[in-house]
Amino acid sequence: MSATPALTVDTMHKSFGQLEVLRGVSLTAKDGDVISILGSSGSGKSTFLRCINLLETPDQGVVTVAGETIKMRRRGDGRAEPAERRQVDRIRSELGMVFQSFNLWSHLTVLENLLEAPLHVQKRPRAECMEEARALLAKVGMSERENYYPAHLSGGQQQRAAIARALAMRPKVMLFDEPTSALDPELVGEVLRVMRALAEEGRTMLVVTHEMSFARDVSTRVMFLHQGLVEAEGPPQELFSGSTSERFRQFISKERG
Amino acid sequence: MDFDFISKTFVRLLAALPLTLSVWFLSVVLGALIAAGVTWMRVSGVKPLEWFARVYVLVFRGTPLLIQLFVVYYGLASLPAVRASFAWGFLRDAFNCAVLALALCTAAYQAEIFRGALLAVPHGQVEAARACGMSRLLMFRRIIFPIALRHGLPAYSTEMISMVKSTALVSLVTLWDVMSIALKIRNDTLVTYLPLILAGAIYFVFNYIIGAGFLALERRLSPHLRPRPS
Amino acid sequence: MGDLAIFGFGPGGWGLALLEGALMTLLVSACGLLIGGAIGGLVAWARLSGKLIAGGVGQAYAALFRGLPELLIVYFVYFGSSALLTGAANALGHEGFVGVPSFAAGALAVGVISGAYQAEVFRAAYLAMSRGELEAAVSVGMNRALLFRRIIAPQVLRFALPGLGNLWQVALKDSSLISVTGLTELMRISQVGAGSTHRPFAFYLGGAALYLVMTIATTRFFDVAEARATRGMRRATG
Repeated sequence: MSATPALTVDTMHKSFGQLEVLRGVSLTAKDGDVISILGSSGSGKSTFLRCINLLETPDQGVVTVAGETIKMRRRGDGRAEPAERRQVDRIRSELGMVFQSFNLWSHLTVLENLLEAPLHVQKRPRAECMEEARALLAKVGMSERENYYPAHLSGGQQQRAAIARALAMRPKVMLFDEPTSALDPELVGEVLRVMRALAEEGRTMLVVTHEMSFARDVSTRVMFLHQGLVEAEGPPQELFSGSTSERFRQFISKERG
Repeated sequence: MDFDFISKTFVRLLAALPLTLSVWFLSVVLGALIAAGVTWMRVSGVKPLEWFARVYVLVFRGTPLLIQLFVVYYGLASLPAVRASFAWGFLRDAFNCAVLALALCTAAYQAEIFRGALLAVPHGQVEAARACGMSRLLMFRRIIFPIALRHGLPAYSTEMISMVKSTALVSLVTLWDVMSIALKIRNDTLVTYLPLILAGAIYFVFNYIIGAGFLALERRLSPHLRPRPS
Repeated sequence: MGDLAIFGFGPGGWGLALLEGALMTLLVSACGLLIGGAIGGLVAWARLSGKLIAGGVGQAYAALFRGLPELLIVYFVYFGSSALLTGAANALGHEGFVGVPSFAAGALAVGVISGAYQAEVFRAAYLAMSRGELEAAVSVGMNRALLFRRIIAPQVLRFALPGLGNLWQVALKDSSLISVTGLTELMRISQVGAGSTHRPFAFYLGGAALYLVMTIATTRFFDVAEARATRGMRRATG
């Protein structure tokens, strides 16, 4: 394990018009950290995750992935934007993102979905990508359905395939944006099992979630956001067994489970 | 039933089919190129370009093709400025005028089809492509275009058929297409309906072939309409 | 005469003639749309009836008139309606040729084409209707005529409005083809003016501008009608 943190975010700010959604959020993730990001809707947790891989552009803040800082600059109208498109594309290929609505590419089979980015973005040899893709599908339990199209799969199957697709890029950090929120309750378990296996492997993961069981039992750290600021942070045992934060206690008592 | 007359008429009509088809093909292709440009302007984010694209579509979809054709064929040819310019070499030919006018018209309809198809691409799948580090060009080539194509095919098929029907208008600007041959036969022989019926049959069959072709293409490209692999 | 004075309303000015042409265009298009409505309603009814022959005929009608060039249909209806009328008149004892006025032939041609497309609009609108409302009306004891008049027709019209608005624009543009019959609608007037004054560019551009004004104005009208007709209705899209 290297001493350089896998990911650091330094005082991130983000506003949508007049509404300031992130008011100075920082985070450091070492290799192998599994950080659950909790908060009620409007707390900014999804925005925070999406600012890390620049799906949204933060107004202020520095993102560093495996020691490389994403260069930002100010436009003529004062708004921030990334300085180098290519750097952003490259760093994105080192971060794997899993979305709430899976977002598998509908015109490609499961296998083709996994091959797409390694072949065309990372330009790795086809044989290597194929072998790795099949291994990943076996890991998430989707081997039998490699030639299925997303339209033929259940939500849980699609999400597991989406996780495999993100893993196919050999990412340094995995970003999960409410991965089980769009699933029927009986399908949540199969996805959480895969995520747990990844955590136990030592993957560095940031997970925005409402699944308290995952936050409590699987993550190495928990971060609680409230109205754009970090209200509470620390190991799950510490926070869940009696946090000093009144808001956090209220939050978990509302989110049963 | 005078089979001899029927077959003679039919052969004469078929002889005009290459002209009809070449007008159709060239105007569709030229129209697609213009439409790609107009669509690019429409989604560019640059306000003046967007405005131009919207006005273009409004004008060419809001006026009859016949009058557009006459503006190009009769109107442009009458302007001294046009006659003196390099464009005159192109515009003095009726075929060129016809193709140009039809292309400008279909471009407006095709641009709307392209725009609708692009809008139909699910935003989440585009985000997933961005999150993988795909460049804008790669994203368009591998994700946006293939999905938009599948969404736009039915409407595009309708427009292709509409264009075949529109080629009949070139009979009004001195081109000898299937329509004008049918009318000439009527004038020469005083037989009114047979030439028109035979011409209609030719157009109908051609439209049917186009429709069936696009349907086959749609089926091939739509896996969710196919059953699951066993 | 100066360029713009050509379009003026004084002596030698074509402004009035063009406006009259535009009015004729509106009239013949409206008649065509109404005829198309009647035909479209019939064809839709045939296709929805569930009876094999009626459905087949309806489908054949739609396929036929959507697959033929509009110009061809205009010629066919123009020549054909005169021949039919002459034949009927001769059978009744009248000698010689009886011509159908170009307005009637033109409106009929536009209607025949429009009907093929309106049939599909009506069919889709009918299928989009809520079954529950029909059941409620039947259970209250409405007979079939009342059911149609008070429940089905208004609902179908509301769902069909967007499609009909589009087909109205198509009818306006198709009406320009009637110029080949000599009817003095806008296209024909533009043509006559262009030939008479040797200013084709000005006249065809002017005619096009008038068509555009008609298209935009009537689109507004349809938007307003749609908003009024669908007030209070829950829609599939937000």
